[in-house]
Amino acid sequence: MSRLRGATAIVGIGQTPYYKRGTSPDPELKLALRAIVAAAEDAGIDPRDIDGFISYASERNDAQKLMPALGTKEVRFASLAWIHGGGIPGALSIAASAIVAGQAETVVVYRAMAEASHQRLRVAVAQNDTAAQYLVNGLESPAQILALRSQRLLQAHGVPRSTMKAMAQAAYHHARNNPRAYGRNTVLDDETYENARLISEPYNLFDCSRENDAAVAVIVTSAERAKDLAQKPAYILSAPMGTLAGGGAVEENIRPFSCAGQLGVARRLWAESGYGPKDVDVAQVYQNMTGMGVGSLIDHGFCTVDTAGEFITFDNLIAPSGRLPVNTSGGDLAEGFVHGMGLVTEAVRQLRGTSCNQVPGARLSLMTGGPGDTMTSTALFGTAETL
Amino acid sequence: MEYEFEKRRITGGIGADDEYWRGLERGEFRLPRCAGCGRWMWPAHFRCGACGSWEMEWHRTVPKGTIYSWTRSWYAFERVKERAGDVPYVTALVEIEGAGGARVMGVLVGDETDLRVGAAVTGEILPPTEKAKGYPSIVWRLADASDAVPSPV
Ligand SMILES: [Zn+2]
Repeated sequence: MSRLRGATAIVGIGQTPYYKRGTSPDPELKLALRAIVAAAEDAGIDPRDIDGFISYASERNDAQKLMPALGTKEVRFASLAWIHGGGIPGALSIAASAIVAGQAETVVVYRAMAEASHQRLRVAVAQNDTAAQYLVNGLESPAQILALRSQRLLQAHGVPRSTMKAMAQAAYHHARNNPRAYGRNTVLDDETYENARLISEPYNLFDCSRENDAAVAVIVTSAERAKDLAQKPAYILSAPMGTLAGGGAVEENIRPFSCAGQLGVARRLWAESGYGPKDVDVAQVYQNMTGMGVGSLIDHGFCTVDTAGEFITFDNLIAPSGRLPVNTSGGDLAEGFVHGMGLVTEAVRQLRGTSCNQVPGARLSLMTGGPGDTMTSTALFGTAETL
Repeated sequence: MEYEFEKRRITGGIGADDEYWRGLERGEFRLPRCAGCGRWMWPAHFRCGACGSWEMEWHRTVPKGTIYSWTRSWYAFERVKERAGDVPYVTALVEIEGAGGARVMGVLVGDETDLRVGAAVTGEILPPTEKAKGYPSIVWRLADASDAVPSPV
């Protein structure tokens, strides 16, 4: 068992509203501050006591810029998990490591995004690290690049397209009950899904995540301290980050083929936490694209390419009583998209019992990081009784 | 020889594939093998992770293979807007025959009727174009039905 198992917990969550991209009344830095202060208030701690700052991907609102406005007493630890949405649980793992190693006591993990006037979020998020192989051949967006993964899953491995539709419909169904959800007014029936305009085959508009202006933050501290704070702790049981040999920046030459690239981190997740897919009560699955969420569920062992069609159905994916309720806030597709960080707060709400689509008595809550990234991560959170 | 693509170099990615683009610009399809242990290594890198050699040999290869995957783009995405007039267009990821399973991308030209994973394709080399962002490129064309291999599905 990992030394990190249950050693830390998420004790505070905070977020701004989701704004249409490019319409935030506040710049990114102010959004980040609002989310961090909200998370501190939720935990019942003074924002000045936050001594660790961790984010991931292309986040640029770093500790140096935040500390004057937070009244930070001392920054003792600050770091960034590489990669894109694949780094979210990895950022939590860095926070847990810093706390266990005694480098920091109260760590905020956060992400803020507001579209600059001339650059789409998805362009900023790409960090200029797209290889010539893609750009020369008309591929630049995650939607196009990940379409290659999903197309392979559908055409070579025989996973039915109905799995993608089920992932989209479950997300929009859950968003209906979520007042924060940007897509709460969309009724995604079969006809609407089937007739949606194509983006990059096999993806249509409803298979793709949103892009919003917003910020989300969570406070991580030691399990010992968590017991005395305001909220029911969400213990971090495991949050591995990594890539297997044959993966990495290999321009669609990953071997063996894996749609999501999460076989390695999923194996470590189950080994470190001592739990398996059958034990999970609810899952927040990062969906840059629906087909990649399908790949995550396969890589995590909830089903195989052969059983995906039977397992990934609308009825199985919805709260309160599906076999594995997924994206209970609406997720990246239907709630809003701050580079996936909103999935962490929803995973925590499920353990607190405060979700808009609560799974009764949820004890083990999964949050999978960005699938298809050249490196990725995944996390399992649990209540005190799961320790 | 002066190479056009070097004037408009794309800096993302590993950046060890200059010889690939130089080859295409000369009209040759070349893929790299490790000079130490002979393994095909694609995408190209600076060192062979298997044997530790720093040397690569670029082998002239027949641009022929099967579609590993593909997508049809229905939107003119920002960083490839040079292709806006071609929307929808297909990009294929092609597993090259006899090159250790190397998968090479290229836009599909010609008839798309039998487009599917597993379909046989042959490549043609284009000189640098605006659509390819000043780079030379390989484009794929579905092989005659008589040459096609059975689909794995
Ligand atoms: Zn070698």
